[in-house]
Amino acid sequence: MPENNHITIVLAGQGNAGKSSLFNNLTGLHQHIGNWAGKTIEKREGTLFYKDYTIDVLDLPGIYSLTTYSVEEVISREYITHHHPDCVINVVDSTNLERSLIFTLQLLELECPLVLALNMRDLAKNRGINIEYNKLQGLLNTPVIPTVASRGYGITDLIDEILKIKGNRSSHAVHRYGKEIEDCIGQLTSLIQINEFAYPARWIAIKLLEKDKDITKLVGDQKPEILGKTKELSDHLEEMHGHDSSLVIADERSHLAYQLTREIETILPNRITSLNDRLDAITMDRISGYIVMVLIMGGMFFTVFTFGNWLSGLFDTMFAQFHDWWNNAVGVSSLASLGWAAIESVLALVQIAFPYILPFYIMLYVLEDWGYIARISFLMDHLMHKMGIHGKACISFIIGLGCNVPGCLSCRIMESRRERFITAVLVTLVPCSAVSVIVFGLVGKYVGLLWALGLYVFAMILIFLVGRISSKLLLGEPVELIMPMPDYKAPQLKSVFSQTWDSLKEFIYIAAPVVIVSGILIRAIDLAGWMSAISSFLSPVTVNWLGLPAVTGILLIFGILRKELILVMLAAYLGTTHFADVLSPQQMITLAVVSMFYVPCVATISVLWNEYGWKKTLIVCALEIFFAIALAGLVKRLLDFFYSAG
Amino acid sequence: MIAEKRSRLLSEMKSGETGLVVAVAGGKKATKRLADLGLTPGSLVRVVRKTLFSGPIHIEVCGSKFAIGRGLAQKIIMDFNA
Ligand SMILES: Nc1nc2c(ncn2[C@@H]2O[C@H](COP(=O)(O)OP(=O)(O)OP(=O)(O)O)[C@@H](O)[C@H]2O)c(=O)[nH]1
Ligand SMILES: [Mg+2]
Repeated sequence: MPENNHITIVLAGQGNAGKSSLFNNLTGLHQHIGNWAGKTIEKREGTLFYKDYTIDVLDLPGIYSLTTYSVEEVISREYITHHHPDCVINVVDSTNLERSLIFTLQLLELECPLVLALNMRDLAKNRGINIEYNKLQGLLNTPVIPTVASRGYGITDLIDEILKIKGNRSSHAVHRYGKEIEDCIGQLTSLIQINEFAYPARWIAIKLLEKDKDITKLVGDQKPEILGKTKELSDHLEEMHGHDSSLVIADERSHLAYQLTREIETILPNRITSLNDRLDAITMDRISGYIVMVLIMGGMFFTVFTFGNWLSGLFDTMFAQFHDWWNNAVGVSSLASLGWAAIESVLALVQIAFPYILPFYIMLYVLEDWGYIARISFLMDHLMHKMGIHGKACISFIIGLGCNVPGCLSCRIMESRRERFITAVLVTLVPCSAVSVIVFGLVGKYVGLLWALGLYVFAMILIFLVGRISSKLLLGEPVELIMPMPDYKAPQLKSVFSQTWDSLKEFIYIAAPVVIVSGILIRAIDLAGWMSAISSFLSPVTVNWLGLPAVTGILLIFGILRKELILVMLAAYLGTTHFADVLSPQQMITLAVVSMFYVPCVATISVLWNEYGWKKTLIVCALEIFFAIALAGLVKRLLDFFYSAG
Repeated sequence: MIAEKRSRLLSEMKSGETGLVVAVAGGKKATKRLADLGLTPGSLVRVVRKTLFSGPIHIEVCGSKFAIGRGLAQKIIMDFNA
């Protein structure tokens, strides 16, 4: 038994309601936040110390129903029902009150201790939405606290309320359905003893009528005779209404939510809503929407490129003196050379990778928090269908632009296994920020911005083709898009910067050690005189087929650890970042093409492995290595032809 | 007088039109998802906008907005005053 001053609370609610924002605020942890539904894919625990209490807080994936169909719903329902939290906080998006209440009604049916956090109060106010909190509290007989999770407003009120009701089984109002449904519920509950199951009898009856698989099985195992009665009753409901009994109940529930909303909510016409509508009229329009999308994405890459070039130039002049200082201070020996290799690698990392990755993340998080990503999904849905997936896959692609690892993980927003797999494979072809470092820092800087952008277009075409082929190979029913469209929100700079900082921290903690070790290793191999042996082993591919310097073979091997290593190690090995001195434009482009596609990095491979098993992962890696090398060789030959002709 | 009632598919409605859902003939899962979001037989749907070709449809139900694929919209039967 938990001690008296130790309590557990669970955050439950629909997607994009602000659960993770609330969680971060309560626990000081950093869950991913952004303005689209489905970011949280796994439950996450944190702890809050408040007054004398230790409060365990659990953040759950957003769900729309307690009738289990999807994995997330199973995870969330199990937690709410089996782990008997002292309190469930239902995080409600006040700007979508009616829809949110449909889920709230389901939580109320479960008869667990419940507090409503009516979140996004600030946005609701701006949009002229007035909610009578006290009236809602009275109608539901459940505490209702207005909150602004992103800024911490209302949080202490919320916790105080939780402490008040903790442990007490709630006595909130139980809403009533129409007479026919209540009749059926009554007949079923009379067959169920009060403490027979871990759930309330009324809830069991409702779930039986809704044909919930798990509950039907549970009851079937213990009291099969109830199922016969259930069948009879739901057939009766279906006959009267002309559609499935689960729909009859869902329909009444949403009608109840509608009535509740009418009683407590008034909306005044206002400027913000019309601003959102006008923005949508431009950004989601059948013509201007696509123009804006190209401008936004193009603008983003252009900014990364100009800012990155400027900053890396700045670092370049700053670091220019370092080598002489080192030689003067330490002298010349093999040990000193290894030491310098470590330092140089880190300098190269800071100078080459950091300037591009920083603006990239800032802009991605701004787009995410603003709400634009859902618009891209909307605009691209049609095209995605040609690849056997739907618009939501774009969300994974865009996250993949930052890093393929969360990109692949986010594929869980896709509904079927087949779509998840196709999307994940395509995400591994999306150039992540580390690959962008190579594209911009090498091709963009020394060959030209247009060439760099051309490589992105090339990647998009390739992704499309691979998608088409894999959708033909992996047969299955296509799933249709169903996606909530969030309103635009002013991006919260605080969360944009804290998420950028988290990504950079990860970059520093994980990339820096890898870079140092690899830098020393390469220098040691060089000092030991093995470089040419290893390089020549790979040279049939690197030199003969791809026309690259022999050293790239070893760089590509290290690049599997992290892709930015390819360029960072090249700079460290050459002792210069002026790549134009050692590589021709054709070689730069060829190297960029190989680096983009040749294999997912180790971290991405391990995600694929976890999610889809080793067989599929190995097949994907092998195919990618083979095709990337074949492709890059062809590109090289085309470029050679092009350059010699021109 | 009774207004003349006709039924059409959601996919055939124009931007800005509102109609009542009569039936959802999609698969079990999709029907369930839609019901969770408030789109059930008997609910009011407003078409916010449509896209070129056979792209998705932007709709409003229960005061919230969603995008649904065109293929699914072809399976939602509406009843509205023409
Ligand atoms: N203005 C405002 N924005 C908020 C508030 N709470 C959350 N947000 C924003 O709403 C968006 C969604 O917040 P999240 O915390 O990620 O939502 P979630 O419920 O965890 O979403 P899923 O994990 O996808 O189900 C983010 O863009 C937040 O910055 C609030 O009270 N006011
Ligand atoms: Mg979340």
